[in-house]
Amino acid sequence: MKFWEYLLKIDRRIVFLLVGLSVLIPLIFPFRIKTNVMPYTQKLFDVIEEIDPEAQGILISADYDPQTMPELHPMFIALLRHAFARKIPVLVMTSYIQGPGLAKQGLDQVTKEFNSQAMTNADSLIYGRDYVFLGFPPLWLAAVLRMGSDISQAFPADYYKNRTASLEMMKKIKNYNDIGIIVSIAGSAIPQSWVVYANTRFGVKVGSGATAVTAPDFYPFLQTGQMSGMIAGLKGASEYEYLVHTKYNLTGPTPATKGMSSQSIAHLTILILVVIGNIGYFATRRTRES
Amino acid sequence: MSHDPWVWIGAFLTIGILSFLYKENPFYRFCEHLFVGVANGYAIAVTWHLILTPRLIMPLQGGNYLVLIPMIIGLFYFCRFIPKLSWLVRIPIAVALGFSSGVSIPAIIQADVIKQIQGTVVYPHLFANWQQGLWAILIFIGVLATIFFFFFSREHKGILKPVSYVGIIFIMVGFGASFGYTVMARLSLLIGRLQFLFGTWLGLIK
Repeated sequence: MKFWEYLLKIDRRIVFLLVGLSVLIPLIFPFRIKTNVMPYTQKLFDVIEEIDPEAQGILISADYDPQTMPELHPMFIALLRHAFARKIPVLVMTSYIQGPGLAKQGLDQVTKEFNSQAMTNADSLIYGRDYVFLGFPPLWLAAVLRMGSDISQAFPADYYKNRTASLEMMKKIKNYNDIGIIVSIAGSAIPQSWVVYANTRFGVKVGSGATAVTAPDFYPFLQTGQMSGMIAGLKGASEYEYLVHTKYNLTGPTPATKGMSSQSIAHLTILILVVIGNIGYFATRRTRES
Repeated sequence: MSHDPWVWIGAFLTIGILSFLYKENPFYRFCEHLFVGVANGYAIAVTWHLILTPRLIMPLQGGNYLVLIPMIIGLFYFCRFIPKLSWLVRIPIAVALGFSSGVSIPAIIQADVIKQIQGTVVYPHLFANWQQGLWAILIFIGVLATIFFFFFSREHKGILKPVSYVGIIFIMVGFGASFGYTVMARLSLLIGRLQFLFGTWLGLIK
């Protein structure tokens, strides 16, 4: 009985150390895990595959800050790669005041990757022609509603203070009718707000890239079809990386996929700790009651 | 190992925050305070460059004096600091509340209530695929039982007792799924930080 009592009183710092090691060791010595793509990740990928690049663009809203960056930034990168690989015009915005820096960092990384392999001007990604960074709107709700009629009015100037209406891409993409899907990458309920104001009111498709914490909140919207797909957590990001890299033979870094071996071992460690804790609890319950 | 000084600063701040796992210490508190200060400073800079400059200063320079109206209404927020004029703060709050409520109420009823009720209704065409039909029935039972559990106007006796018990099972399954996802999320954050420390900083991860 003493053994179980000892386990129940184990110092939390030992648990932290075990979990830390179970994350760190597979990062240094990674092993390959088969990627099983979840239906909603596949659905989002398929919706973006169906967009006609000549007719419509994609709006990616980087609605996150550094706190959720490890989970969400790989999704943003994978979505950008997907859109650019298909030559879909990309609009990027953010509803978080700490988001513009992260969004710019992601855009710079992916455009550099593609431009380093471009052979001609047509292959290159050029700002204003292939992608536009709208930045951060002061009143998100007003901007979202205004974009339904005119994106250039919602964002008179882009992140770099260019007049939005003067950009080549914006002559083709005027409002939500010209957007194939809006993907909100967020660690909060913002994707739900996109559903409420953009999907319900204007009928534009909305997808989400969600942290694992917020993902369960969006399943009702996926079930009703109000949301057209979801990338859930780091696992979802690794699935999307797998889909994009396999289909378009891309070679950029895949941090989410690299984190999967750690995630699996850490989950196993936590499962073992939970089971031990429960056995210990029931084994010592009678002693404690008496 | 990285030669970028910013990576070194990031690494030391990360270690400082993670040191809380051992116990609270001055290094952790320094990092925490620094984070709050930097986040606020960054927010002010972004507000200036991405909001005030393009939406107020540039239009004013271009001769659009209409933007003075929202500017004055916005400035009323600062009246909170002047006791005699503090009542003026109600004006921008009223504008923001009136706009948000007017836009949100019909949209939320449509998206969060009507569409969700439609999604719970079991239509005959759902049974074309037996799996889809089974899930539709399960969702229907789950929604009804959970609502019954939160029905407090009558004591949970008779038929209400087993129905609310089924509701508890659905709620517990929901909590379990949420907890599982939360564990996954927290580990993802740890993975991200360790990738930075042992990859970007120390170069031990390829």
